[in-house]
Amino acid sequence: MKRRKIVSSIALFISCLTALWGIFWLFFIIFDVLRHGISAINFDLFFKDPAPPGQPGGGLRNAFVGHILITLCATLIGVPIGILGGTFLAEYGRKYKISKFISNLADIMVSIPAIIVGAFIYSVIVKPLGHFSGWAGGVALGIIMIPTVLRTTENMLSLIPWTLREAAFALGAPYYKVIIQIVYRGASTGILTGVILAIARVTGEAAPLLFTAFNNAFFSINMNEPMASLTVTIFQYAMGPYEEWHTQAWGASFMITVFILFTTILGRILIRRRYKF
Amino acid sequence: MKPEIEVRNLNFYYTGNIHVLKNINMTVYKNRVTALIGPSGCGKTTLLRCFNRMHDLYAGNKYEGEIIFQGRNILSKETDLIELRSKIGMVFQKPTPFPMSIFENIAYGLKLKGIKNKSELKDRVETALKDAALWDEVKDKLYSSAFGLSGGQQQRLCIARALAVEPEIILFDEPTSALDPISTAKIEELIVSLKERITIIIVTHNMQQAARISNWTGFMMLGELIEYDRTEKIFTVPSNKLTEEYVTGRFG
Amino acid sequence: MSKISKSKIKDFMFLILTALTAFSIILLVSGIFLVLLKESLPAINKFGFKGFVFSTEWDPVREIFGAAPALIGTLITASLALLLAVPVSIGIAIFITEIAPPFLKTPVGTAIELLAAIPSIIYGMWGLFTLAPIMSKYIEPFFQSTIGKIPIVGKIFEGTPLGVDLFTASVILSIMIIPFTASIARDSFNLTPSVLKESAYAIGATKWEVVKDIVLPYSKIGVLGGVGLSLGRALGETMAVAFVLGNLNQIPDSLLDAAATVTVKLANEFTEADKDIYLSALYYLALLLFVMSFAILALAKTFIVKAERR
Repeated sequence: MKRRKIVSSIALFISCLTALWGIFWLFFIIFDVLRHGISAINFDLFFKDPAPPGQPGGGLRNAFVGHILITLCATLIGVPIGILGGTFLAEYGRKYKISKFISNLADIMVSIPAIIVGAFIYSVIVKPLGHFSGWAGGVALGIIMIPTVLRTTENMLSLIPWTLREAAFALGAPYYKVIIQIVYRGASTGILTGVILAIARVTGEAAPLLFTAFNNAFFSINMNEPMASLTVTIFQYAMGPYEEWHTQAWGASFMITVFILFTTILGRILIRRRYKF
Repeated sequence: MKPEIEVRNLNFYYTGNIHVLKNINMTVYKNRVTALIGPSGCGKTTLLRCFNRMHDLYAGNKYEGEIIFQGRNILSKETDLIELRSKIGMVFQKPTPFPMSIFENIAYGLKLKGIKNKSELKDRVETALKDAALWDEVKDKLYSSAFGLSGGQQQRLCIARALAVEPEIILFDEPTSALDPISTAKIEELIVSLKERITIIIVTHNMQQAARISNWTGFMMLGELIEYDRTEKIFTVPSNKLTEEYVTGRFG
Repeated sequence: MSKISKSKIKDFMFLILTALTAFSIILLVSGIFLVLLKESLPAINKFGFKGFVFSTEWDPVREIFGAAPALIGTLITASLALLLAVPVSIGIAIFITEIAPPFLKTPVGTAIELLAAIPSIIYGMWGLFTLAPIMSKYIEPFFQSTIGKIPIVGKIFEGTPLGVDLFTASVILSIMIIPFTASIARDSFNLTPSVLKESAYAIGATKWEVVKDIVLPYSKIGVLGGVGLSLGRALGETMAVAFVLGNLNQIPDSLLDAAATVTVKLANEFTEADKDIYLSALYYLALLLFVMSFAILALAKTFIVKAERR
């Protein structure tokens, strides 16, 4: 009896340690990025373009602007398709087996290696056009967003009680009006959260941009040209030989981490407030 | 007639100070079947779960008063819950076979008690299954999954599992409410035969069941123990008006 | 009358629109597969399956390409990461579901899930500049002087501890996949009916015995699904590994060797591939990775669905 209790306490203690282990890494990484990154944050980082390699000064204005443009493009592609697709699965297609299949397929697609999507877009957009472009990067990230948005939309719509739809049907409303005016309204916070989390996720993606948007050492807002992004720049600068580059890579990492943690936490607060999980 | 459990001024609160048991006093007698009846939500299951401190698994619950068992207040902080629960077993509303074979289900509690000897385990599993009147039905498939049994068989397996660790008391929480009449009859028979060896407390929503199998009956309402007496008395000449109304079926 | 038919048409149009977008998922997945297949055809024709998968040579100049080193690197990092992450993740799930007091459940759960929100490029950056030096200075020498002294087993820690190697990459990967395994394990644990746990407590089981004998067996399918999901993730992870693995085309003898994975090779060489067959060989690698991770993820998903259905 005594031995069993000791075994139990030891096992439970180890389990507490594992939780600490996980939290330890989280704080280690976050503090490390903050520590290195905060000293790299200055006016130039946001408002100047890169200096020639190896020379001091300069900033990452091109990468910030490029990143925002690419993410915007991805959002414009991924969000509508994701929301509409999720609507089909939760509403019109609810009774069909194929919907369950699509929903499971989307779940798998969420975890498909992001670099594969980059290779796919390289073949269907970059090669035919003959050059890298901001559009290609946006499409690649957009494809990555679709399954995430689709699945959250489906889940959030399913949470709306069926009686609410029936009440609207009883007033003689057609299904599309019921969806747009009643169901979407009820699920709006949830869908918004899904969108925010999806944006947060693609903001940190580098792999799918490597062979789509590529990189650009100069400032450009032409989506038809190769375009710089923070993540690809981090990769290039961190692996590069110059101390300056490393510092700027930390600065960019800092901004991305802060943005993603902020949006992720915001998303969680929103959803918790709405659904009281 | 020896008292087994003495409940004194028991009050119980769920999370948020919701007062669900109000000043309960009762004596549970050894080798008798004690039934707790009452309309749903009256607190009978809550009271039952006080006897093995099941409420402790969830945060925020609070006991006041005393439950004396074997000379000690089991509500005190010093109580060893694991030891307490191996002395006071429990059978639930729905059958709860563990995800293991039939044999393992029963051997599990014995192994926890430290019995490792294979032949002893085998003997005691067999005895427990025989005591629960299940042996003949399962002796050829001891090592197949317990999920393959019928609902009634699963419930008797759970009784066998509780019996195997040789408890002093077994608590039954509406053990037949999910079963068909034939399985119910078998389990009732089993409960009556078990009181030779152990003390039984059973919560039931079925008054006929209480009348058939129990020696003592407590009638509860809104968290209070309205009347507690010998079963014959409760069902024939209850002293409280509410009890009379309930057992004659005028409400509830 | 006309109003009704008008709204019927609108309704039908909305139905078609949503259906098309939903089916785009199928189109995308099959499109990705077909495009990868098409692009890798030249390499498939030239090297075949066995000739590619089992060949260790990777020589762009002589146009000979073999996938063995990259595939082996991928498998080693992913499985070592899994080995390090799974016990920790299960421990975390146990902590959150069974041990933590209510006021700790949410913050700890959120903290673990934030680990999943940190992008892989940040893991890579941190791995290169912070973890790799720590690994080479303290952790790898420690393993060399302990496990490294044991004959045969010790071989896996031979070599100079540089920090840019399979070991460091696996450690980073393991941190990255902890949240995936942990959150699915947690959900599976939560599916265990509480009355089942109660009945184990009711015969006097300790908390650990309830977890070990009831919760874990009951939820094993779901946990297995979570492990599969993490494996799928680990196989396809690019940036975190690209920083700390080097890109060395060799079959490693030791965990302290630099190596390559499929993803690292793609990330480093894709834009440098100057010849069609070179690019095609890279696409062949991508195709193998896609098929592998898709199969594992699909299997994991069926496990998770099965666990939820019970």
